[in-house]
Amino acid sequence: MKNLFTAEIRGWLTLIGRLLLGGVLFAAGYLKAKNPAQATASVRVYKLLPVSVANIFGYVLPWLEIGLALLLIVGIWVRLSATLSGALMLLFVFAVGQAWARKLAINCGCFGNGGVTADGKVHGGVYLTEILRDIGLTIVAGYLYRFPHGKFGLDKESSESE
Amino acid sequence: MADKKAKKNKAPKKQGDKFTRYLVIGMIAFIVIAGVGAALAKNHSNSHAALPALVTKADGYGISINPTAKVKVDMYEDFRCPNCRNFEAVNNTYVDGLVRAGKINAVYHPMSFIAPDSILTAAAAACAADQGKFLEMHTALYVNQPSSTQMAENSAYWTNAQLILLGHSVGITSKTFDTCITSGKYINWTRNIEADAAAKNINATPTVIVNGKTLPLATDYNAKLFTKVLTDLGVK
Repeated sequence: MKNLFTAEIRGWLTLIGRLLLGGVLFAAGYLKAKNPAQATASVRVYKLLPVSVANIFGYVLPWLEIGLALLLIVGIWVRLSATLSGALMLLFVFAVGQAWARKLAINCGCFGNGGVTADGKVHGGVYLTEILRDIGLTIVAGYLYRFPHGKFGLDKESSESE
Repeated sequence: MADKKAKKNKAPKKQGDKFTRYLVIGMIAFIVIAGVGAALAKNHSNSHAALPALVTKADGYGISINPTAKVKVDMYEDFRCPNCRNFEAVNNTYVDGLVRAGKINAVYHPMSFIAPDSILTAAAAACAADQGKFLEMHTALYVNQPSSTQMAENSAYWTNAQLILLGHSVGITSKTFDTCITSGKYINWTRNIEADAAAKNINATPTVIVNGKTLPLATDYNAKLFTKVLTDLGVK
């Protein structure tokens, strides 16, 4: 078993993880950046921040996601960007979790729809899917933190340890 | 095989690598900063924006018809939003009738929320308001909203040329209307609508507010419940 899990395989897994996490972040950021009105609304619906702060966060978040995505995809500062991405995912898990607990409709984000339908019923599945997806991505981020040096990355072991 | 590759990745051209890294980091930083800057700059209320007929800042830049009527109905809608079409399908005839009879103060807030062309439809409706044809254009935009099989909710459907034709089809003849649309006269106004709605925590379309009270969605889509809200306030 241990032999199979060589540096070579680790390297490819790191590449896959980088592309997966970076790809999802890029798509999420791109869709939000294209539609800032929707992006700010999708921060406001969680009712965690005062409206004015939520609006600014809504403008900044998509570009933060795009920035992290690009770093992960080209493989620069992988450990740092994986840590920040993981933290972002945990923040999303927390936001969705509290929205679920408070029965807030979160239906204007770019991935996934709803939570609460027109008749006021709460559909746990919507929140759960989002939470599971974000936890999955957090695990990917954790792997990248542990093994940041993969294939086709601009990070070299020397530069990472400096 | 593995060893060879690992070595090739590691050893040479340290100097060049460092330069590439900094170059790429710089480019990414630039993209992020420029993106945030542009987003913040674009989505601010612009006090110099040209305002269409019937619009006042006090009404959140909405198109306000019958401002002296006692019952005020704020409608935050997006002409590309399917749920808004549902609301219109259920209540449009009723609301239009009340507006034409002067019985309610209807304030329309056309949002640019859903699709890339939402902003064009909102601006076109404002151009129609200048011609006294807002209600007609409003109805026409919903009647002609593409179904989800025709066009995904969040891709562009309308062009300015089509919106001009739509305006003509509801009886607008003035050349001013055409140039109003082609010149994008009210594009900045739609951003003011957005900024105001964002500040008021309007997070979904349709959002219908009667005398300051937001109606539950279940009421919006139910003609009986919706009518009752207004009749209870003395609208007949």
